[in-house]
Amino acid sequence: MIKIDNLNFGYNKHKPLFRNMSMQLSNGHIYGLLGKNGAGKSTLLKNLAGLVYAQSGTLNVMGYNPAKRQPALLEQICFIPEEFYLPSVKIDSYLKANAPFYKNFNHSYFAELLKEFDIPASNKLINMSYGQKKKFIIAFGLATQAKLVIMDEPTNGLDIPSKAQFRKIMASAMTEDRCIIISTHQVRDLDNLIDTVIMLDENDVALKASVEEITEKLTFKKVKEIDDSIIYAEASLSGYNAVLPNYHNEDSKLDMELLFNAILAEKIKFKPLFN
Amino acid sequence: MNNTFNINRFGLLLKRQWLDFGKIYLISLMAIIGIVIGFYAWNVPAPSRYNNYDSDGNLDMRFRYGLFLILGFIFISVVASSYFALMGQKSRAIFELMTPASTFEKFLGAVFYTAILSLATYLVLFYLVDLSFVKYINAHLSEFKVGGAKTTFPKAAESISAQIVNEENYRNYFLHLIAIPFLVTSIFLLGSVYFNRFHYIKTAISVMIFIGAASYIIYKSASLLTRNMVSVHHGAHQNKEDLAFLLIFLVTTALTLIFWAIAYVRLKEKEV
Repeated sequence: MIKIDNLNFGYNKHKPLFRNMSMQLSNGHIYGLLGKNGAGKSTLLKNLAGLVYAQSGTLNVMGYNPAKRQPALLEQICFIPEEFYLPSVKIDSYLKANAPFYKNFNHSYFAELLKEFDIPASNKLINMSYGQKKKFIIAFGLATQAKLVIMDEPTNGLDIPSKAQFRKIMASAMTEDRCIIISTHQVRDLDNLIDTVIMLDENDVALKASVEEITEKLTFKKVKEIDDSIIYAEASLSGYNAVLPNYHNEDSKLDMELLFNAILAEKIKFKPLFN
Repeated sequence: MNNTFNINRFGLLLKRQWLDFGKIYLISLMAIIGIVIGFYAWNVPAPSRYNNYDSDGNLDMRFRYGLFLILGFIFISVVASSYFALMGQKSRAIFELMTPASTFEKFLGAVFYTAILSLATYLVLFYLVDLSFVKYINAHLSEFKVGGAKTTFPKAAESISAQIVNEENYRNYFLHLIAIPFLVTSIFLLGSVYFNRFHYIKTAISVMIFIGAASYIIYKSASLLTRNMVSVHHGAHQNKEDLAFLLIFLVTTALTLIFWAIAYVRLKEKEV
């Protein structure tokens, strides 16, 4: 679905954000995009949506070059930015004005999502809280039936029940022909939702692996003492949370926060495991 | 699917833009009507007033030309300058750029609202107010005194549109200067997509600097080229007035198209 080849991008010519980045993303997956502040998560998403232009390299999204901003591609992209704009109109008017651009827009699914998110359909968008607006824009985006769903920090501003609703809705929105990319700092919000982790660091992809592959190759567990087998460990109340090579095919639950810190701290040690 | 232009999609885009743009636009139109009516009410000749006549002895309606030009300039330039102005905000720019319509359709929508709709509504509004006052005045001509004689009535006033239709000079000016309002909207539309903040001021300053620099260069080059030459005045019959008007028309049209083309390219290149 998405093919990135030798992507070079930077807001400043002398300070590249991506250097020869290459990656492929397929449909049928929910990708979690992680990275430090300024690693380029939002920028990568903007590149995929055609909101910024690469300095060099090629980007292929469903057979289109996103930089051309062709309607055929735009109607297949649901882009939920971190900061979004909604006009000062009622939900009904917004729907009448915007839904016809998406020929697969599903009105009944949209109504279902509004109900699920507990948003009154008669509300004026401008009078909603930030969280309600975010839920509205997510509901609209998903109802467009776009094949590529790009979300930048979608859980920011959502209360605890809404985060659970969000996870449930996203899981049910996943279909075989859809590709969902979610960028977030709040990795715990994506627990059990994403199936592939993409981590950006130092102008490139530091890790791209499925949750299955990660837990096959690594094990996440609590240990009392640190030994040489441990790749990375963080002190906790009862010892250490550690990442180890999974030599004995142990089952463990992926601790994304730990993995994130581990990759950033010990990038070289992880490289041979995932290449 | 045609990725450059589709009439249905363009219609949807205009409809969607109206949802956002329409309310403010209608409010500004109300303000314009108020200003025009206010100016007319204050300045039109009235039987109770002195100095109701111009130097030709006609009812003095000359204030309306200045009003028409100045208010028209302000209105169309402000509308054009505000069209893409909100794209200076990241969230708004994302909303606009991600709408499934081509850049060409988005640009055409901008031209429709800023050049066609704003100009047409301004002309219609001004025409209606002007016509109403002219009709009112003409219906009360008998109340005006000419030179103190109650039996002589002044000549009936004419609306601006009637003057353009009836008088060749007005018609000539109108036809040859018709591209100027489009030029104004094209410049301010470009400014609205080019600058991220303070669009109107920045565009106005840029235009002033450009006109100043161009005038200086033309003056200096003409001075250099005609150095040591003698000025020869032709007879009036040899003045190529028609050619000058034609040139004004061609140059303003060409500049309008150029500014629109640059605005289109800037919109295409817009990044968030």
